[in-house]
Amino acid sequence: MARQPGHFYIDATCIGCGACDHACPGKVDAIYEVPEDFLGRFAIRLEDCIDCGICVPLCPVACIHDARTEGITEGTGAYAKIRELQAWAEQQSGT
Amino acid sequence: MASTPDLSDVKPLPSEAPMHPTTVAAYEAAFEAHQHRWGEILQENAERMARGSYSLHWMNTDGSGWGKRAKPSSRGLTYTDINKYKGSGEIPTMATWKNFTPRGSIREPYADKFPEVVDYEVLDKWELWSDNVETLFEEAKARQWNATKDIAWSELEALPEDLEKATCQLSTFLTEVEFVAGDFPAKWLYRIPQEFLEVKSFLSTQIMDEARHQEVFRKRAMAGGGLLHASPGFEWALQAIMEAPTHTMGTFLLNLLGEGLVLSIFRSGEMIAKTQVDKEIFRRCLQDEARHVSYGVMQLKSYIDNHPDPQKCMDDLHRFADVGEMVILTSFSEAALVEPTAILLGGGLKKIDDGMDGMAKLWRMSVEEYLARCDRAGFDRSERCKIPLDAPWVA
Repeated sequence: MARQPGHFYIDATCIGCGACDHACPGKVDAIYEVPEDFLGRFAIRLEDCIDCGICVPLCPVACIHDARTEGITEGTGAYAKIRELQAWAEQQSGT
Repeated sequence: MASTPDLSDVKPLPSEAPMHPTTVAAYEAAFEAHQHRWGEILQENAERMARGSYSLHWMNTDGSGWGKRAKPSSRGLTYTDINKYKGSGEIPTMATWKNFTPRGSIREPYADKFPEVVDYEVLDKWELWSDNVETLFEEAKARQWNATKDIAWSELEALPEDLEKATCQLSTFLTEVEFVAGDFPAKWLYRIPQEFLEVKSFLSTQIMDEARHQEVFRKRAMAGGGLLHASPGFEWALQAIMEAPTHTMGTFLLNLLGEGLVLSIFRSGEMIAKTQVDKEIFRRCLQDEARHVSYGVMQLKSYIDNHPDPQKCMDDLHRFADVGEMVILTSFSEAALVEPTAILLGGGLKKIDDGMDGMAKLWRMSVEEYLARCDRAGFDRSERCKIPLDAPWVA
C-alpha cells in the first residue's frame, strides 16, 4: 500500500539558509534547493516527506508549515515584500 | 632513557618578533608559576619510561561511553548523528571544563592536573546556543565556494562609467563591512569553551565565508576599475559591533541586524546587478549570508527562551537595540551606499531619481524583514525601532 504524501511545505518567504535541509532525516531527504531560484530557496517533496516536523523549529523565518493545520500557500509578511521591489523593477525595465 | 630530565634550565623559546619587556616578563612569570605542575607530569612519565614499563591506563574504559559505535545516516556522519550518544552528545547548560579536554572523554581522574584557559568566559549555553547550529554547520560545509575559480571573471562585461563606478562603490562598501563579520566571531571564538564545539565549528565557517566575501567584492571592484570610497558612517557601525558587551548582543547587532540588512541587499541582487557575473556573486553570497542571519535569529531566540531573568533580559536587549539600531542607521544612510544602489536600481546616473523610488522600497523591505527576524526570536521591536520604516526621502 502506497504511503500517504506529507503535508509540510515551505512558503515563498524562505531565505535559503538550509538549516531545514540537513535536519531532514537522511534516508528521507525530502528537502531540496529549488533549481535556478536566485533567492536560493528550498522546497519539500511531498511524496518523500514523512511529516516528522523536525525541520519546523529550526527555521529562522518560520516559513515551514503544516498544511493540515494552516491554510497559507504563498507566504506573507516581511520576506514577501521583495515581490514589490521585483514588480517595480519589472515595470522599470518595461518603460 | 638514562636519567630523568633536569628542568631547572628550561626557559621559554625566545620570540623572534619584538615584544614589550613587560609582556615577556609576564609570560615568563606565568611559565615559572606553572612549571611545577607540568614538570611533575614530565617527571612521572620520564621515570616510568626509564623503568621500561608501560602505563596502558588509557585502555581502561571505566566511566566512559566506550563501546557504542556511532552510526552514520545516509548523509554521512553528522554532529546530529554522534550527539545521540549519552555523555559525549550532551551539551551542558553551563560549561565547567575550562580547558581543551574533549566533551565525552575520560577527564575526571585528571581534573586537578589540567591548566585553566582563563579566556573561556562565555560559559552559559543560552549565551551562544542556537537550535539550528548543527544543521547550519552541515549546510555551510556543503556550500563552500571559491571566489577565484567559481566566478566567471573572464566573462565580466565592462559597464558604462556611471554603472561601473556605482558597482565598484557598492563593492567597496561590501569589502569594508564583510571583514567585521569575520572579526567579530573570531573575537568570541576563543572565549567559547570546547564544550560548545558545535557553535565553535559553525563560527569557524562564518569566518571563512566572510573572508571569501571580502575577497570576492575586492576582486569585483578591482576588475571594474578599482576600489572607491570608504565611509566613516560604516566604520562607526562596525566598531559598535566589535565592542558589543556580550556575545549575544554582538551577534544580535551583527548577524540579525547588520548581516540581515546586507542579506536584503543581496536578495535584491537580481535587480541591482548589471552583469551576469555580478548576479552570480550576489546569488552565492546571499546563501552564505542567510546562514549567518539564521544563526543570529535562532541564537537570540535561545537566549530569550532560556535566560534566567526574563525581565532583565528584555530590558537589556531593548536598551542595547536602541543604540545598535541608531548606529546601523548611520551606516545605512551613507551616500556611499544609498546613491550607488539607487543608480544601479534605476539603470544609470540620469535615472537616479527613479532608482531612489526603488531604493525606498528596498529600505522599507529591509526594515520590515529586520522586525520579522526580531519577532521570530521573541523580541518585539515594532514599537521601539529607531530605524524609520520609510526612507528619509519619502514624503
